[in-house]
Amino acid sequence: MAIRHGLLALLDEGPAYGYQLKAAFEERTGGTWPLNIGQVYTTLARAERDGLVAQLDVAADGRVVYEITDAGRHEVARWFASPVRRDAPARDELTIKLAVAVTAPGVDVKALVQTQRSETMRTLQALTRLKIDAADRPDPESDTAWHLVLERLIFDAEAEARWLDHVEARLLRAAASTTSDRTPAPDGTDRANQGSAR
Amino acid sequence: MTAPVLELDDVTRIHGSGATAVHALRGVSLTVAAGELVAVMGPSGSGKSTLLNVAGGLDTVSAGAVRVEGTDLASLSRAALAAVRRRSAGYVFQDLNLIPTLTAVENVALPLELDGRRRVRSYALAALEEVGVADLADRYPDEMSGGQQQRVAIARALVGERRLVLADEPTGALDSETGEAVLALLRRRVDQGCAGVLVTHESRHAAWADRVVYLRDGCIVDSTAYDVSPGSLETVR
Ligand SMILES: Nc1ncnc2c1ncn2[C@@H]1O[C@H](COP(=O)(O)OP(=O)(O)O)[C@@H](O)[C@H]1O
Ligand SMILES: [Mg+2]
Repeated sequence: MAIRHGLLALLDEGPAYGYQLKAAFEERTGGTWPLNIGQVYTTLARAERDGLVAQLDVAADGRVVYEITDAGRHEVARWFASPVRRDAPARDELTIKLAVAVTAPGVDVKALVQTQRSETMRTLQALTRLKIDAADRPDPESDTAWHLVLERLIFDAEAEARWLDHVEARLLRAAASTTSDRTPAPDGTDRANQGSAR
Repeated sequence: MTAPVLELDDVTRIHGSGATAVHALRGVSLTVAAGELVAVMGPSGSGKSTLLNVAGGLDTVSAGAVRVEGTDLASLSRAALAAVRRRSAGYVFQDLNLIPTLTAVENVALPLELDGRRRVRSYALAALEEVGVADLADRYPDEMSGGQQQRVAIARALVGERRLVLADEPTGALDSETGEAVLALLRRRVDQGCAGVLVTHESRHAAWADRVVYLRDGCIVDSTAYDVSPGSLETVR
């Protein structure tokens, strides 16, 4: 419902055309989630059906200006006041891949983890570069929303990297405990200790 | 092309000998050019501090070579090596290492003074200014917060014409805001032409680097370059 509520919140600031809403949505979220215009019109049509917005005016060229209704305003206020629920975990390809990999025969899970870690780090590097660029702009105030979005993505990527470290440490511990009765680590180092430390 | 500022060439470092020998580094090769910041990540005991120590001439290699601005550190006399440490390579230690009986400005001026330079106070003040703590010049370390001490330690590593900055977990004890400020400082210095190596276990901090290398059991197992253009952000998530 993020798009519907995001658009409603924008309409709460004043009437607008679909195109204006699309542009405003993208600008306010830093262009991270581009909308297609069809999506915007479908969302507005459903919101109109539900009594949350109404057509204020139709321009000569057929473009419709929408305004928010009292019910719509109420809905926006409710949205801002309630937490976002996380009850159904998103289907995440990486989680599924790793869960399958640890039990699948012949998969080099350590390599998989490292490949992913580098990829996640590249994402973090790109995001950090964007953040540095944003901080260099003359008017950082107007970029607060963009900054917030970026930092959210940075925290997400960081969490993924930490999870990968955790997975690797667990795998090393498991490997150490299955081989330790037979042979000492070939280099004489304490592998279990290295794996568990951060 | 000029020589890279730092070159580790197939470096091995073994601590101790015989049954208790620890291979802290095994055949590590790494090149850092001027204007480049490289982050080193890895679990505790993977050899990160050893890598920085040999890079800064604080520790010697068992095999392989370390070159700073083209000079093989093993070819240098003790005195010449000490001069490299004062002039070319700046080091930010894991535990700050400010001298408690010296003020901030005296701490920063120390490497220059040891080097027999003159007008050291003005250089030291300029370095403190650069890291934003010029007003604390006459305070002692125990009169400063952790973040302020860290800035002073960085000023000491940057003072003079250092071309290479080596930082071992410089954000370790700092809150996230202060940690970011320290990284911004390192980043700026590198963008001005230094070469930098940053050891950290926090990926959000490593992400400030141009390249991230991963150490495991003394070996580099992988590295990333900054090659993602901002335009591709939509495809990342
Ligand atoms: N002076 C030393 N004597 C003996 N072993 C050492 C010495 N310094 C480091 N080591 C060992 O070398 C390995 C790498 O250590 P270090 O470079 O400090 O790792 P990190 O900084 O990644 O935690 C570890 O196993 C450590 O115990
Ligand atoms: Mg260390």
